[in-house]
Amino acid sequence: METVAFSILLLPLLSALITLLFLRKSGNIASLLSVATSGGILVFALYLIFNGENEVFTWQTTWMKMAGWELSFGFLIDAPARLLLFVVSFVGFLIHVFSLGYMADDEAKSRYFGGLSIFMFSMIGITVADNLIMIFVFWELVGFSSYLLIAHYLTTDEAAQASKKAFIVNRVGDFGFLIGIVLTYWAFGTVNLLELADLVDFDPSLISTFLGLALACGFIGKSAQFPLHVWLPDAMAGPTPVSALIHAATMVAAGIYLLLRIDFMFTEHALSLLAILGAGMGLYAGFCALVQRDIKKILAYSTLSQLGYMAAAFGLGMPGIALFHLMTHAFFKALMFLGSGSVIHACHHEQDIFKYGGLRKKMPITAITFLIGVLAICGVNFLSGYFSKDAILLTAYNVNMPVFILLYAGAILTALYMFRLYFITFEGLARSDKAAHAHENGALMTGPLLLLSILAVVGGYHSLYPFAIVESILPDIELVAAMPNHLWMIVLGTFAWIVGAITARNFYGRVGDVDPLSEKFPTFFSLCKSKLFFDQMYGFYIKKIQDPMARFLEVMELLFISGLMVRGSAGVAALLGMLGKVCYIGKIHAYTFWFVAGTIGFLAYASGIFGN
Amino acid sequence: MTLDQILLLGSIIVPALTSALLFAGIGGGDDWAKKLAYIGFGFPFIAGIVLFFNFDGSNGGYCFEIFHPRMGLQELKITFHLGLNGVSSPLFAMAGVVGLAAGLTAIRSGAERLRLYLALLLVMQSGLMGLFASIDLFFYYLFHEFALIPTFIMIGLWGGRDRRSIALEITIYLTLGALLSLGGLVALNVMVDAEKFDFPSLSHALANTEMLESTQIKIFGLLLIGFGILVALFPFHTWAAKGYEAAPTSVSMLHAGVLKKFGLYGLIQIAAPLLPEGALAWSPYLLWLALGNVLLVGFVTIAQTNLKSMVGYGSVMHMGYCFLGLAVCSSLGAGSAVMLMVAHGLSVALMFLLSTYIQKRSGTFEMDEMGGLATKTPVLACFFVAASLATIGLPGFGNFWGEFGVFLSLGENPDHRLFLVLAALGIIISAIFGLRAVAKIFFGTGSDELIKHEKENPISDLKPAEIIPAGIILSALLFLGLWPRGVSDRIDQEIGTRYEKIDFAALSQFTPACCLPNAEGVGLDNNQTSYDSLQKSLPVKPISDH
Repeated sequence: METVAFSILLLPLLSALITLLFLRKSGNIASLLSVATSGGILVFALYLIFNGENEVFTWQTTWMKMAGWELSFGFLIDAPARLLLFVVSFVGFLIHVFSLGYMADDEAKSRYFGGLSIFMFSMIGITVADNLIMIFVFWELVGFSSYLLIAHYLTTDEAAQASKKAFIVNRVGDFGFLIGIVLTYWAFGTVNLLELADLVDFDPSLISTFLGLALACGFIGKSAQFPLHVWLPDAMAGPTPVSALIHAATMVAAGIYLLLRIDFMFTEHALSLLAILGAGMGLYAGFCALVQRDIKKILAYSTLSQLGYMAAAFGLGMPGIALFHLMTHAFFKALMFLGSGSVIHACHHEQDIFKYGGLRKKMPITAITFLIGVLAICGVNFLSGYFSKDAILLTAYNVNMPVFILLYAGAILTALYMFRLYFITFEGLARSDKAAHAHENGALMTGPLLLLSILAVVGGYHSLYPFAIVESILPDIELVAAMPNHLWMIVLGTFAWIVGAITARNFYGRVGDVDPLSEKFPTFFSLCKSKLFFDQMYGFYIKKIQDPMARFLEVMELLFISGLMVRGSAGVAALLGMLGKVCYIGKIHAYTFWFVAGTIGFLAYASGIFGN
Repeated sequence: MTLDQILLLGSIIVPALTSALLFAGIGGGDDWAKKLAYIGFGFPFIAGIVLFFNFDGSNGGYCFEIFHPRMGLQELKITFHLGLNGVSSPLFAMAGVVGLAAGLTAIRSGAERLRLYLALLLVMQSGLMGLFASIDLFFYYLFHEFALIPTFIMIGLWGGRDRRSIALEITIYLTLGALLSLGGLVALNVMVDAEKFDFPSLSHALANTEMLESTQIKIFGLLLIGFGILVALFPFHTWAAKGYEAAPTSVSMLHAGVLKKFGLYGLIQIAAPLLPEGALAWSPYLLWLALGNVLLVGFVTIAQTNLKSMVGYGSVMHMGYCFLGLAVCSSLGAGSAVMLMVAHGLSVALMFLLSTYIQKRSGTFEMDEMGGLATKTPVLACFFVAASLATIGLPGFGNFWGEFGVFLSLGENPDHRLFLVLAALGIIISAIFGLRAVAKIFFGTGSDELIKHEKENPISDLKPAEIIPAGIILSALLFLGLWPRGVSDRIDQEIGTRYEKIDFAALSQFTPACCLPNAEGVGLDNNQTSYDSLQKSLPVKPISDH
């Protein structure tokens, strides 16, 4: 078992290493190697999932030892790890295949596929890690691979800025996470997940709100939640399959997985704060998505909003439901991102939805699979999103009304902006030459779309999955099933997506080059467009506070330390030297004078005039 | 003599001998000089690696000892005593690795009067190997001077802009630091009635006779400030960035990477374990000064536009973490500081090396006049991104383990947690300047200056001869990052046995609370109680074999 666990971890690392050392100039071989690697990962993952006999598998060895602190390199493959392994390896494999088509003409293919392999390595590391420090190690490494892949089109300033921003904002989150880990170690004497769980089980008073929230900073950074959400929309500067894999299906969802791994560390207060934050994000990101023109940015904000739903589910005490939504979301969001990739590829890297139009007739497979994704995310009855999202809404309705109201408004908004995207892109008439001459893509790209659309339809039926995969979400699903107000929720849920869809149809059914919302409700439109000025605030901080302070300190250093202290003391020495020099004027009478003065001084001292 | 002992002695003698041959003008011609230099730098590298893997520190203490009572001054208890322990062995290997990389760079540098340049660099290399191999404190200091003095000459002769005045400033500043630390060492020699002037004898003597706390504080203070100047402790750091900017690449690599570790090595290996009460008394001040390195120098680094001075300031900033690890006064902190010293030496040397590669291609160190180099020099970009990320503490490279260990050690004592939070801000600060540099140099499109420069000087990617030195250092960093036990076990055995005899935990209960900034710690009453507890909990013998 540990051999397989090691293989699944080291295989992508090896592939990246080979690519880096030998295949830098042979992009085609590198891409095939990377795809084969992801296939191998899928096989190993399935082996790990089904040969574990539904037991918890642990294995560890010492990684580092220093003065009584011992860090282990270990695996913990339990029910949630199996589910995430399945999602990462399966979606990862499909996105690798899609990339073969999407990146066929790229010049830096080996860098791209090498980066994907490093990502798979780090992501699997997070999934199977058995302690917080090891999670942190791979946590930073996914951040690095995300940085690398966002910067793929590195000649554009957009990519240069976005990659930097993503890494630094994530570091801000990791700052809190790191402090949380250090304090956890000194509070509990261990960072092993199972031992921590036992200790908390034994003495629940060990946990504190502060500690939980410090650890949750990692989640806030990685899952781009308030107030660190600003990096994700910018991260869309990377290639579209990367957005699908890293910035929608897996890495950003790793934040939720982290919360799940340490769910015992959270107090009531910490949980309710997370629920409110998540629900607020669900609504806020919806408003932002409503006014975007860039197809990928719309999807990015929608990811933020859905991550908010997961956080809310976790905060409401239903980690299993959060994981369930993570899984269905990975399917339909990866589907839609790949769909957008297919559209972007066909329209020669045009990303403005108002330059599309009428693509349904030209790209039928993309259009239909995309529509399935839209229906799934809106929670249309009996598709995958319906089950996971309604479970969250129902829980909120029964547990916490304010959270429910936020989430429900978010649900209507989701339907609105998603159907807006669909209608403007695929219906109506083509609004640019690029859209008019678009063609459906080849099987390498439509194949993954079709497979994912099947999962987006049926992915919500937990009884279809093998027990080994869904074991971790079943208890919470049973809890939700036992809750009251089911019928009422079905009515409300159906109402939400129908209202959203009809409004979108009426509003965006026939559009020109301009967003109709900006003409009819300009104030509301510009308020949404401003995204509540977060980017401006951070920009202000960097330009007006951080950089001037850095320059100020530089000047102060030059002035006081370099100047006053170092040069100053040198100056004092020079001054003394000059004073001394005055005495040596080279004339005999002056020296005689000094001699006499010295003799008198000596005699005076010897005779005790200056006291004893 | 066993083979290992021959390697140890040879790592000092071979560079010194080759350098002497170069000075004497044997062979003539630069080709001969280059061949000799290969031997002079290659031997310490091989010795360092072989001795690192042959090192068996399972019992703590020294390995491969060479002892010559006749060499030295017995009246002053000075003897020639070489050997490696768990702390010095990784640093010794690191000195060999960085030395080879710096040497290879120097051999290819095409400097004027290459023979003299290589000869001086070899003297430096010999001194560096010697200082980590010395057990006797006099020779430890002597070898340091051997390595230090050539730097002044080399900056003065082969340096960049303002080399004369900077060489003068550095000479005065560093000599002052060396003088203060020499004073501290002499005071140790005089105050402790030991058989020999080396750590084991001093420690043995101190176990039998107690040294007054006030004496400890004075001697430790001398050593701290003296060594602190040499390591560029805030506010004695201004020489560093300036000096590295002016120095030729190989000198910057050896000085910032290896020689600068001399001071910290002395503090961690000798001063703190011998003078625990002195260390504790200075700890609160040292914590603030080290924070000055991390935060203030960190911000100054953000403001740099010149690549080489950014690397210089960045290296000063990260030394702050090592000082924090020392100031915590625990085995975990000290051990992690050593871990960070090894990794930092490698990563800083690599950064200086790569900056020069960049300068060779873009014709400037000003980052605003570069841009878009990644498409033209992908291999260089790859190395630079890796080195920058190693510097800012990405897991997978050695620096992460050192920094993480220091953070962990700061969390142990609730009084230090404020420092934990402030110091951890450094991970954001270093990400800001590190990634800004990557983006400015390699991403985007070329600046106008670069395009103009490129017309006359076509830009090509790294040549194999340039890849080798960078590759050697990067592999060592990766080894540290992926298999930290390879180094940490050795450090742990030594620091563990050395620091465990000192009950820092008991001692640290009376850390002067007045110097700690948390609200409860301030106020007369608390000072009073902490002073009381000092009197009560003061152990009779601070160092005892239990």
